[in-house]
Amino acid sequence: MLDDIKSVLTFAAFRPDADDPEVPWATRFLGRKTLLLNVNRSHVSWRSINRRGKFDKAGFHEGDLADVAAQRGEEWRAMTEGGWCCVSINNRFIISLETGLMRADNLNHLMRTNPRTVLGPKYDRGKRYAIYHHTETTASMLLACEDSMVKVTEDVLRGVGLKPGRICCGLFAMLEYALKGIYDSNRGQAPSSFLLIAACEGSIGALAQQDGQWRDLRCRSGLGPDGMDTALQIISPLVAKAPPGTPVFFVSDGQDPTFRKTLMEQLERVEARDLTQDDLVWKILGEH
Amino acid sequence: MSQYLCHDFKTPRTDMSRRLPGSMRVVPIFFYAVALATAFFVFNDMRALQQAEQDRLAAIARKDEYIAAKTTLDSEKTTIDAELFRAEAVAKWVEGTRVLQPITVAIARAVPLETNITELNLERSADLPAQVSMLVRLNNSTLAEVAKIESSVNRLHYRSFSPSQAKQGDLIEFRSMLVWQEH
Repeated sequence: MLDDIKSVLTFAAFRPDADDPEVPWATRFLGRKTLLLNVNRSHVSWRSINRRGKFDKAGFHEGDLADVAAQRGEEWRAMTEGGWCCVSINNRFIISLETGLMRADNLNHLMRTNPRTVLGPKYDRGKRYAIYHHTETTASMLLACEDSMVKVTEDVLRGVGLKPGRICCGLFAMLEYALKGIYDSNRGQAPSSFLLIAACEGSIGALAQQDGQWRDLRCRSGLGPDGMDTALQIISPLVAKAPPGTPVFFVSDGQDPTFRKTLMEQLERVEARDLTQDDLVWKILGEH
Repeated sequence: MSQYLCHDFKTPRTDMSRRLPGSMRVVPIFFYAVALATAFFVFNDMRALQQAEQDRLAAIARKDEYIAAKTTLDSEKTTIDAELFRAEAVAKWVEGTRVLQPITVAIARAVPLETNITELNLERSADLPAQVSMLVRLNNSTLAEVAKIESSVNRLHYRSFSPSQAKQGDLIEFRSMLVWQEH
C-alpha cells in the first residue's frame, strides 16, 4: 500500500513498468542506466546505456553465459540501475517461414502468454516464439527459441542480481528492423523482389522475396571461427536462385568490421547494399 | 521506424502493474499543490503567530508603562485631592467668617431707646466660623425686645439655635447660637 502511494506521488505509477514488453526499451528506462547483453554460444558481449540514453561501456568475454556471469556479474550490476538488462539470445533458435498464421492486434501479447492460439498445431511447448508478418501477404517469419535456453538465461542472470527486462533474438530483431526499414523507406515502391542478409555475432539469416512473396528463409546460429564459409554456403543458393538485378541488402550488427568487410566483398559481386550502422544491434535493442 | 517494437519472449510476469492513465496525474499534482498551499498557509500563520506574540509583548510593555503612569497620576491626584480638601476647608472657613458688625448694628436698632444693652458678647467658634455664640444682657427690657432682636438677626440670614432667655427683674439675658444660612 505504501509502495503504491509512493509510486503515485513520485509519478512512477504513470511511467511504464520496467518489465512491460509493450513499451520500447528507451521509454521504459528513460534517465536510467541499463545493460544490453548479447549471449552467444561461446561468448557474451555487452553494452551499457547511461542515464542520458547514450551507449557507454562495451565488453566481450569468451565462455558460456553462466561462467561469464559469475565473473562479470558485479561489473554488470554496476552498469545498471535496479539490475535491468536486455538480453539477446543468439543461439539455439530457428527462424522459419510460415503462412496463414493468425493476425490480431494483441498478437505479441498472445505469443507471450498463449502462443498455441496463434500457432495452432505448430506450437511446441519446449519453445518460445516471436513472429513478424509480411505486410501484404499471409506469410510470416516465425522465431522459435529453446524454452530451456530462455529459462537458464533468466536463472543465471537472476543469480547475479540482474533482471531481464527483455529477452529477444538479436538476429531476428535485425531482420525485423531491416524489413520494416525496406518497406517503410520505399513506401508504395518497395522492391517486389529482394534478398535480405542479416548477420549478428556469429548468426546469419537470409530472406528471399520474389514477386512480393517471401520465398525462402535460411538461418544458422552459433557459427564458429569458420563462420564465413558457412555463411557463404547459406547465402549462395539464395543468391544463385535470385533473378539477375534483384536488390541484395546486407545488414550486420556493426561490431565486427572484418566479418562485415569479408562478406561484403563477396556480396559486392551482386551489387549488395550495406544497411549496416555502427552498433546497430545495440541501437535496435536499446531504443526499440 | 519509431513504431518498431522489438519482440520479447521472456517468461511473462503475472504481477506486473499496468501504468495508470495519464489523467490520473492530477492526483499527485493536486496533492503537491495542497501540500504547498498548506505549507504556505502554515508558514504565514507561524509568521502571524510570531508577530502576534511580539505585538502581545509590546502591548504588555505599553500596559505596564500606562499602569506606571497611572500610578504616578493617581498619587499626584491623591496629593491634589488632599490639597483640594484642605483648600475647601479653608474656603469654607473663610466663607463662614461673616462680618459681625451688622449683627451688633441690627441688635442695637432692634432695642428701643429706654432699654439698655448692658452686655453684648459675640463669640465666633474657631472651628466653625459660621457659628457665632451670642449673649445679650438687657436692662429695663421685656421679652418683646428679645423677639425683635431674634427677628432682626434672622433678617441678616442668621438662624438662631437653642435660644434661651433668663429674666431677673428688669434684667434679661438672651443667649443663642447664630448660624449663617446660605441662600
